[in-house]
Parts: sequence; C-alpha cells; structure tokens
Amino acid sequence: MFRTCDITGFKVDLQSEKLIRANAVFAVISLLFAVVAAILLVFTRYQPVHLLGAEWYYRLVTFHGLNALIFWIIFFEIAGLYFGSTVILNTKFCAPKWGWVAFALMVAGLVISNIIILMGKADVMLTSYTPLKAHPLYYLGIILFAVGALLAVILFFGNLMIARRDKAYGETMPLVTYGLMTAAIIAVITLASGALIYIPTFLWSLGLVENIDPAMYKLIWWGLGHSSQQINVAAMVSIWYMVSFLAVGGTSINERVSRSAFVLYILFICLASAHHLLTDPGVSSAWKVWNTSYAMYLAVLASMIHAFAVPSSFESAQRRWGYNKGLFQWLSKAPWSNPAFSSIILAVIGFGFIGGTTGVIFGMEQTNIIVHNTIAIPGHFKGTVVIGTTLTFMGITYYLIPLIFRRKIAGFKWAQWQPWLFFIGIALLSISMIVLGQLGVPRRHWDSSFSGGPFTHNFNPAVDFFWALMMLGGTIAFLATIIWILIVVISVFFGQKVNGPQDMQLKISPLAPQAKEHKGFEAPGTLALTMVFLLVFIALFFLNWKWLAATWNVN
Amino acid sequence: MVIALVLCITLFIWMIMWHVYGKQNPSSTTYRTSTTEFSKLTEAYIMQNMVGSDNGIPIVRPEPNTNVFLMAEMWRWSPVLILEKDQSYKFHISSKDIVHGLSIQPVNMNFQVYPGYDYLLEFKPTETGEYKVICNEFCGIGHHTMIGKIVVIEKDEDLKLYGFKDLKKPAGKAAAKKNEPLTEAEMALMGEQVYTLKGCGACHKTDGTSLIAPSWKGLYGKDEHVIVDGKKTTVKVDDEYIKESIQNPTSKITVGYENTPMPVMGLSDEEIAQVIAYIKTL
Repeated sequence: MFRTCDITGFKVDLQSEKLIRANAVFAVISLLFAVVAAILLVFTRYQPVHLLGAEWYYRLVTFHGLNALIFWIIFFEIAGLYFGSTVILNTKFCAPKWGWVAFALMVAGLVISNIIILMGKADVMLTSYTPLKAHPLYYLGIILFAVGALLAVILFFGNLMIARRDKAYGETMPLVTYGLMTAAIIAVITLASGALIYIPTFLWSLGLVENIDPAMYKLIWWGLGHSSQQINVAAMVSIWYMVSFLAVGGTSINERVSRSAFVLYILFICLASAHHLLTDPGVSSAWKVWNTSYAMYLAVLASMIHAFAVPSSFESAQRRWGYNKGLFQWLSKAPWSNPAFSSIILAVIGFGFIGGTTGVIFGMEQTNIIVHNTIAIPGHFKGTVVIGTTLTFMGITYYLIPLIFRRKIAGFKWAQWQPWLFFIGIALLSISMIVLGQLGVPRRHWDSSFSGGPFTHNFNPAVDFFWALMMLGGTIAFLATIIWILIVVISVFFGQKVNGPQDMQLKISPLAPQAKEHKGFEAPGTLALTMVFLLVFIALFFLNWKWLAATWNVN
Repeated sequence: MVIALVLCITLFIWMIMWHVYGKQNPSSTTYRTSTTEFSKLTEAYIMQNMVGSDNGIPIVRPEPNTNVFLMAEMWRWSPVLILEKDQSYKFHISSKDIVHGLSIQPVNMNFQVYPGYDYLLEFKPTETGEYKVICNEFCGIGHHTMIGKIVVIEKDEDLKLYGFKDLKKPAGKAAAKKNEPLTEAEMALMGEQVYTLKGCGACHKTDGTSLIAPSWKGLYGKDEHVIVDGKKTTVKVDDEYIKESIQNPTSKITVGYENTPMPVMGLSDEEIAQVIAYIKTL
C-alpha cells in the first residue's frame, strides 16, 4: 500500500511509514530518559549542589549512558534506515511483520534493562567491566535489544534487494542510501562483537561460565562500544548530505570520493577498540600504535573528507544559485531560518572542532596518558555523539515531522532557535569537561572532595570556574532538548495536518542549476575554513604533547 | 585531501618517534598473575619494607631502581610510597578485586589496572612534592574514597615537610638478619604492620576514639564490660582475652558494640602475638 507524497513526489509505503513512526517515537522517549538523568548528574557533580547520593549518582550514570548512547541513537537510526531504504528508493518494505518483531524485541530490551537499572541491580556503568556483575536480566535486556536491531538491519538489506530488483533507482544508489548502507554494514560487525561479549557475560552472571577475563572483556566490549560510534558517524554524514540536498539542492562536488570515504569507514574501523586500551596492560605498544594509527587515521581521513565534502556541497550549490560574492557570501545568505540546515552546519562545526580534534589527540598512545578515564573523555564524545549525531538527528526531524508524520511544526519560532541553544549548551559543557579532564578530574566520580577517604586532593583552583561553566552548559542543553521534545510531541500529536506543499515550513529546494562557467576551485570558502580547522588542530596537538612532556618519565 | 593524508601519516610517525626519543611511553611489559598471588606478593613486600603508617595505610620507602608493588583494592591504594626525585622505580601494579584506574595527581598520569595482570611501569618522578593516587575507573559505591599517596623528596630532611616523623627502619630486614627471637619492640612493629595490612584500622582506632569498635589506645590491662551468652560481665584485657577476641570475635562482645560484630580475620598465632605486642605499646 503506497501513498504518493504531494510534496516530494515519493511513493511512501504505508507499512514502512508506521514502522518509521514507531521507532522514532521510542527514540524520543529514550532521549527524554537520558536528559532527565543528565541534568541530575550535572547538578551532582557540581559540588556546591551535590544533588544525588552516591548510589543514585552511579545508577543514573549507567541509566543515562544506556538510554543516550544506545537506545536513543539506535532507535533513531533504525527509523533512518527504514526511511532511506523505502521512502527514498520508492520501494515497499520487504517484511513488515518482521519489522514489528524487531521493534517489539527492542522495546522489550529497553524496558527490561531500564527497570533493572532503576531497581539498583545493575550499578555497573554502561561499560560493565567484569568482574563487576549486574543482574542477568540487565544483560538479557541488552541482548534482546541488539537482536532486534540486528533483525532491523537485515530488513534494511531486504529492502535494498527489492529496490534493486525493481530497478527503483537509476544507475547508482543515492549517496544518502549508500551512506546508510555503510552504517548498516558496520552495524552488523558491531553487533557481532556485542553478541560475542554480552552472551558469555550473561552466562557468567547466571553462574554458568566461571570467569570472564577483564582485559579480553574490555577489548571486545569496545569492539561494540567504539565501532558502534562509527555507525552513528556514517548515519550522521548521510543525513548531512541529505540536508544539503533538501535545503539548497547541493550535491557532493566529487561523489566518487565521498563514496570511497564511506568505504574507508568500513575497512578501517574494526579495531577502534584499540584506543580504549592505550594505557592498559596486556597488549604491546606496537599493537597499540599499529591498531590506532594505521587503521584509525584512515577513518579520520574519511571523516575529514566528509567534513570537507558536505560544506563544499552547500557552498558549490549556493554559488550556483548566485551567492558568489567574496569568500563567504554563500554562508551569510544561507537558509539560516531553516532549523534543519542550521542544525547540520552546527553539527559539522562541533563534530570537527570539538569531537574530531580531541578524538585524534586523545587517541594517540602517549597523549592518552594525560586524559585516560578523566572527564575529558566524556567531554570528547559529547562533541562527537551529542553535537554531531544528536543535533543532526534533531535537525532531520524537522523534515520528518511534515514528511512522515504529516504535521506542521508547532512553535516554529522556537524550532529556529533550538539548534543554536543546544549547540551553545553542549559546546560549553563539552569544552568545560575537556579542560577539567586535562586538570586531572576523573570521570564517573561522585565526590571530587574524596570525603571519607584516607587523604584528600585539591585540584587546580581553576576547576571551580569550569565546573560552573559545565553546569551552565548542561542546563542550557537540557532546556534546548526539552524544547525539541515538546516541539516534536506537540507537532506529532496535536499539530495541524499537512495538506500539501503550501504547508511546508521548511524549504525543499530544487537541484541547484549547473554552473555557467567554471573557473578556479569550486569551494574556496570551505577550503579557507578547513585551513582554520587544521591550524586549530595543530595548536591543540602541540599543546597536548607539551603537557605530556611535563609529566614524570615513564616507560 | 592531500594535506589531510599527509597529516594522518605524520601522526603515525610521530607516535613511533616518541617511542624512540620521548620520555613518556606506556610500557609493553605485563605479567600474568592472579589476585591471590599478587596480594601475597604485595603483602610480603610491605612486611619487608614498611617504615610506618599514614592514616592506616602502610608507608614504604623503596630504594631507587628496585621493584615496587602497588596494589589497588576496593577502596584503597596500598602502600603509601616515598620516592626520590630523578630516580627510577619499577612499579608492579595490579588489582586485588575488580578493575581500577591509576591516576596520579596533579601531574595527571593515568593508567588502567586489572586484576590478574601485573603491569610493569618504570616511573621516574621529575618534580618533588606530594602526589595523590586517585581511582578513575568506577569500582563500586566507595569509589570516591579510594585515594592513595606518593611523596617525592630530594633529601631526608624533606620528609618533615610532608608530616613524616619517626619513620622506622624496615622491620622485616632487621628480623631477617638474626635467628634469635624478636625483641618486644620488634614484635610491636610487626604488629603494627599486621594492623595496617589486615585493615584493623577501619574499625579500631589508635587515637582513643571509639566509633564502631573499641579504640586500642590504653586497651591493654583495662577492665572491659562484655556480654557473654547474653549476660553482662567484666573481663581484664590480657593476652588470652585478645587472642580469643581475634579468633572467636562473638564469644565476648564489648558492651556498646553489639550492632557491629567483628568478622573472623584469620590471623596466625604469630601474627596474633605481634598484634598483642603492638596493643601493649599504645
């Protein structure tokens, strides 16, 4: 059963549409859980308030991690995979019944794990390093969720096969779907690592397996934990290309390069777990250096290609629309009133400048010594997963509300502000955490005054300022997320119906015209920005190595 | 793109060069161990080299270029170390129970600590001062109380700056030299080691404060009100009574501490004798 979209002209499979909606709704619920926990955590770590007791602090760190990093993101990605494999390809969903089975498994996993955590039976953090042991149902919940997600990924491939058989797309698969396919392939690898570690751990918690080696656990767990972030990156980058296309009619200036960058992700991310073991015993330096650099930097290269290709596709399209003056008119005349567009641009900036730079520097064997397990690490991944992935997902939702839920966006003025507010909040939060970490403050730590310990330690007095800044950033980001959730919930459940193109608040641009003449480089503005980025990176790089050189000698 | 590729390759080469020329590199040396083996090694090491105690944690002052054992457990780092500036020490680091994180502050150096793996890191402190060892891997509800200490000095007089007084000669070495029975003072020193090693200090203080359990200060020879089979009576604290209390803690319960029964600690007769000698000195 199809309906033809009166705005985009796509044929939309109604079964698929329902599945997309259901998964998206649960994504939003998970995000709500995650941010409510997050704000309580921020106010606990901010020592003058110190809101929660130790028990609830650690419990909610576990809860926040699982809901934010796993449930919110994967539910949303499954919705995205279904969208990219059916709506964009004008195809029907291969097996809707199985789609609902996958959904039910994922929901069951979410409910079981969350209940067990809140009952206080799994205060083990998201990473649950053995020999810390949680209640067996906690692991079972995650396994159920992962099986559901794996099933959904298989259905995605099923949809692609139908599209191919029906010749639903032209010569080549659209870049967006291609990127999502990359995400799906990485997801299979990742979920396999997940099964490899969670199933034995589950048996161990039941007493059926005697011992889980802690170093092996950490190695394989991060095969899931870090590689899964590459799913996010691939999905996020796909959406960046899609929004460039929707908002200004932009296409990659070199599509072949963009595609090969996606392939680099698949080939070189498998050992991402290595840079969680940089300061660990058990593996040699040669192993660490090899697996984090030779392999990882090609994935970094891929990200740099995308981070260049996406803004340059905006720039190139904008220039062809006639905004050609100077280096940056394309940027000043960009559709800033379109919240999806501003989300994506801010996500690119945050991902690159905050998440990317710190990611590479922290991921080098020696510099890892000065940040390992400090609060700088969550600071880094707030830059990647929160400003990058989450803001991107928030942005694309502004298109999904009218196109998939067929509702007008309620409070559109608020929607236009929301990405900026969220960006500022997380940027403050993230940068403060990175600085605190560089000053030695540990992550996942209830009381940095060490009350009850035999000794105490006073961190550099500068930490007080950054704690306050972190609290401020956290509060702003919390409010921005609540605004987004309210906009989504009110629009979807109480919003006005969309009856045609006239009700679209976000522009869908036609393809940008062909360039009349071709002279010089297509995207000089992006190139200039890239240079700024590289300079910032090099500055941070030397700063970190200098700090390292000031520490004790060790080898 | 070319710039990006060059950058990526530079990063790779940089790490290798730092291994050759840099002074901060994580080590590749790890030994397999077990939690019991490592805690025995550390305990023996502390027994041999302990020179005093700091807030209930034994102090060790290792010779430069020797092996140093540092054990993580829920929730303490043991022992407290006194090191010398610009001297190397081969640290053996492992955990007695679960995964912990070694974080030396404020110099900010961080390493992972596993049970079952003995990580060999050769440290050479480059600045004097008092450093704290905090745990930065979640290890249960008392995680935030897990903090240890390393003091780096240049010369012996510096010890006073950090509040270390009356540090003794390592008792184990003195004892090893002679075959004759230990003197009462040596016994007491060994007893103090047992006190810190076995964690008696968690409940029994030596400064006269009695919160969870009776303080050991002035305990020996005192008349104590106890409950035997539900009946109140009075006993004199002597060798016999202390021995019984350690081996069978619930047979006589001191009045006022009925709700905090003492666990059986599993001390040998020799260790008990040492503890008694120690209590006598308080």
